[in-house]
Amino acid sequence: MPKVKNEETFTDKIARLGLSNETLIDMLRTMYLIRQFEYMADRLYALGKVHGTMHLSAGQEAVAVGISKCMKKEDYLINTHRGHGHFIAKGADINLMMAEFLGKENGYCKGRGGSMHIADFTTHNLGANGIVGGGIPHSLGVGLAIQMMKLGDAMAVTMFGDGASNEGTFHETMNMAALWKLPALYICENNKYGMSMDVARATAKLPIAQRAEAYGIPWYVVDGNDLLLVYETGKKAAEYIRAGNGPVLIETQTYRYFGHSKSDRNLYRSKEEIEDWREHKDPIKRFRTQLVDAKIITDEAADQLDKEALKINEDAVAFAEASPDPDPSTVTEYVYA
Amino acid sequence: MPTPFVMPKVDMDQEKATIISWNKSEGDEVKQDETVLVVETEKVAIDVPAPATGTLVDIRFKAGDVVPIATTIAYILGKGETINDIPGRIASTASPVLKTAETSSAEASKPAATPTPVALRAAQELGVNINDVPSHGGRISREDVEVYAKSLKEKAASPEAGKIAATPAARRLAHEAGIALESLTGSGPRGRIQAQDVVKQPSAQPVTQPAVAPVVQAATTSVGERSAKVIPMTNMRQKIAERLQASFRDVPHIFLTAEADVTRLEEARKRLNDIATKQSGSKVSLTAMLVKVIAWALERNPYLNASLVDQNVYLWEDINIGVATALDEGLIVPVIRNANHLSISQISEKIIDLSKRAREGKLTLSEVKGGTFTISNLGMFGIPQFNAVINPPESGILATGAVVRKPVVVDENDTVEVRPIITMTLSGDHRVIDGAVAARFLRDLVQAIECPEIML
Amino acid sequence: MPEISYSEAIRQAMWQEMKRDERVFLMGEDIGRYGGAFGVSHGMLDEFGPERIRETPISEPSFVGAGIGAALLGMRPIVEIMFMDFTLLTLDQIANQAAKMHYMFGGKATVPLVIRMPGGSGTGAAAQHSQSLETLLMHIPGLKVAVPSTPYDAKGMLLSAIRDPNPVAFVEHKLLYKTKGEVPEGDYTVPLGVADIKRKGKDLTIVTSGIMVMKSLAVANRLAGEGIDVEVLDVRSLRPLDNDAIIASVTKTGKLLVVHEACQTAGWAGEIMAVVSGSSAFDYLDAPMRRLAGTDTPIPYSRGLERAAVPQEEDIEREIRAILKGKY
Repeated sequence: MPKVKNEETFTDKIARLGLSNETLIDMLRTMYLIRQFEYMADRLYALGKVHGTMHLSAGQEAVAVGISKCMKKEDYLINTHRGHGHFIAKGADINLMMAEFLGKENGYCKGRGGSMHIADFTTHNLGANGIVGGGIPHSLGVGLAIQMMKLGDAMAVTMFGDGASNEGTFHETMNMAALWKLPALYICENNKYGMSMDVARATAKLPIAQRAEAYGIPWYVVDGNDLLLVYETGKKAAEYIRAGNGPVLIETQTYRYFGHSKSDRNLYRSKEEIEDWREHKDPIKRFRTQLVDAKIITDEAADQLDKEALKINEDAVAFAEASPDPDPSTVTEYVYA
Repeated sequence: MPTPFVMPKVDMDQEKATIISWNKSEGDEVKQDETVLVVETEKVAIDVPAPATGTLVDIRFKAGDVVPIATTIAYILGKGETINDIPGRIASTASPVLKTAETSSAEASKPAATPTPVALRAAQELGVNINDVPSHGGRISREDVEVYAKSLKEKAASPEAGKIAATPAARRLAHEAGIALESLTGSGPRGRIQAQDVVKQPSAQPVTQPAVAPVVQAATTSVGERSAKVIPMTNMRQKIAERLQASFRDVPHIFLTAEADVTRLEEARKRLNDIATKQSGSKVSLTAMLVKVIAWALERNPYLNASLVDQNVYLWEDINIGVATALDEGLIVPVIRNANHLSISQISEKIIDLSKRAREGKLTLSEVKGGTFTISNLGMFGIPQFNAVINPPESGILATGAVVRKPVVVDENDTVEVRPIITMTLSGDHRVIDGAVAARFLRDLVQAIECPEIML
Repeated sequence: MPEISYSEAIRQAMWQEMKRDERVFLMGEDIGRYGGAFGVSHGMLDEFGPERIRETPISEPSFVGAGIGAALLGMRPIVEIMFMDFTLLTLDQIANQAAKMHYMFGGKATVPLVIRMPGGSGTGAAAQHSQSLETLLMHIPGLKVAVPSTPYDAKGMLLSAIRDPNPVAFVEHKLLYKTKGEVPEGDYTVPLGVADIKRKGKDLTIVTSGIMVMKSLAVANRLAGEGIDVEVLDVRSLRPLDNDAIIASVTKTGKLLVVHEACQTAGWAGEIMAVVSGSSAFDYLDAPMRRLAGTDTPIPYSRGLERAAVPQEEDIEREIRAILKGKY
């Protein structure tokens, strides 16, 4: 299947896709929320308030928001450690997220998981995974359970990066998902780098998504910073999956502004490259411009969304900092159910 | 110059000899090479010849003395010489006599002590400084060197010298019983004190038997094709078992059997009981008579009233005779203390009292401790003869059987009469008691039984 | 009471539970028409169909991961890994995922997954198909490890494992599959984390599991004829470990011998000895604690070598005698 290119007018597209203005503004709002969250996390870290490290996804907001809009409440999300955006897009409580970041007792995971392991089973977020590719096989079980427990047309949405596509579990999972025609959507967020390894140096044949061919799975490669393109592709895939046809793989090509983790000195890419993406390919800028141009929102209103996003995050930090630390004597609780 | 008669060395590593007997006496004429005395080294008796012809004088040691080699034991005067010609002679002999029974050990006299040549060689071989070796009686023997070297090695081997190796269970038991670990000898590897070593102690003996024997769950079980009723050992049984096993295993038993005609003893007993009846006293049993006889004989044969502790023989001053008593649940040996100072009736009363309280489970610790010799009588069951196992740490036990009326020869004319005969078997610790020693004791017993007046 | 084999007992547990609870299903290689590499799932495909007796490609990490995903949604999957040696392929899913999720998600996730694995040597399967790796699994918090030694224990413990909300590694010794024992036909459970004294004794305690239970009992019964009374304690579970039972037994006998097939160095005997010596039982020890374990080698192929690589009855007997004689 050829790489999908964007040639329609924006207005035609939103009409075709049946997206209301509210929805579109909401999408922008969410993107700002994610961006502000990531920057806030970074600032907290710089102030020495965060233990450990974090993996920030600033720059990849279009994928998070685009795919989340294709998902229903009943769908399950299997997330990665660079997944704050997905979590937020699926409706996480920013306060509880921030509390978990700061290792607080009332964080999402009672301070036991931290940034890499945030989960919220009430919203069907089955948790972020610290092992690259570690969560991919779980999608098989989720798919099986959806089928065997007759959970309607729910699907398992699995996020993973370009690095994970070279893990054995990726291939095993593709094979079995296709074999058993499981209701599973696989999103490969190709942000060009594993940790420091350029995807071209790590992958024998690009694009990544073409591997799905070997398993008989339909695949797409899209510009991951084009929000509506991501949304449209995801919607198509979701329809296919919910109809019981089996899994789909979508490769979204995007970029991360921050390093892999907090100890990343960005020695493997140039400042120019980062600046180029930030200036010319930033997903929020692009979408905002499209909305403003289509007169769906004013610049001021857009700025306001950004400011509100910042405020929500500031409040969350205040909430988190005021929250209690877990009692050390409870260290052995929750080992066994 | 009078010729010194010196105790000769005949074996390579010999350091001493015991004088068995003198064939000649003070003042006798002796010829060179004529046997003058007989001595014993290790196990062998040797004739010692005179080194010169002349008159044997100044005999300094008697039969039974243990004399180091190269010691002057006498002088032989040549023609015209007198006793005053003997150099450096002093009226009382100051030469050392080694008595192995001496309880004073380790007189650690320093360089003044003379090491034997054998000791010197041993010290060299073992890499030990001869001047550090503790001596005995002014002399350092090879044995002294070896013992010292061994103690050095043991100290070196355990950097924790001074720390006691004992299992946790042993420590707990010792603590509970109030026994100091230092007083125990370990039977485990590297001398480690095990629980059984603590339990073997007299004070750890089961003194109070339960008034009611513990309910023993006798289960039935099958092993292969055979069925059995399984009865777990009681504590008492286990302890008896352990002590007897240790005795049987560690103590080399020598058995001697003698028969005695109890006619006179029984007559004496009857007379005593007649008096007792008249005076409303308690009657005297044969066992009581035997205890009295044994006590008398032990006074004359101290090695039967002894204990071997490490390398020393302790000749006990008290004569405490244990009387083995059978109970339903096992065996207990109450002790009659100072039996040699008690009259027969006193002994008899004690036996009656102790047996009664033994059966009631009311004996005290001191009544089962401290025995120095034991009598075990199975005569009441009709057993004519048996061998008993020594009760450690004692060195002897006398097993007496039933009195059996037998035909025996009673005089030189081979007259045969039926007499009441008792058969007694002595078990002796052969490390302490030689055959002759044991035999003498039995002979004394028989004499006293057959002629009780001898004890008066 | 009917006498059935160890493998039948396991099948019975799965069968009965799958009938009782539709959330239970079995995943693994060749478990369908083939009936499982060791015949344990024989007949189950016909009874329950291919959805619930779900044969997988040779993708151990991912089908264990599939088990985890299904468990997260509330199903009760049983995953069969053909040889315990292959669990090493799946350690990320078992240790990093299944065992950790309940904790690192603050109690929000439960993974009621059972991973069954035939282990152990004696079949000539050699180095890569004969290991006893329960020590590795025992080390992981969040995982439970079951090591039943009899058909009765196997059925009861598997039922407990399936019903347990935690991931359970269920270790089956290959040589036990054909052994027989009395097993109740109906529903019953044997709790995880509870040891079983298979033979009461007073002279020495053997702590052991799996195939070594049988060997220890054979030796103990022989020695009983000589008046040597050995207590055989079958741990039945390695995590949680029934510390109390072990401590009580060693307190009673004062002597401990741990016997396991797993390699000696850092084998689980060390854990038992640490538990005992750190407990009140220490004051009752009357001999050094000893262990008898597999040699620190891969399992060899040749029959004689294979036999020499793990403790045998004669080794157990020799060690018991040496301890009781105060040799150490």
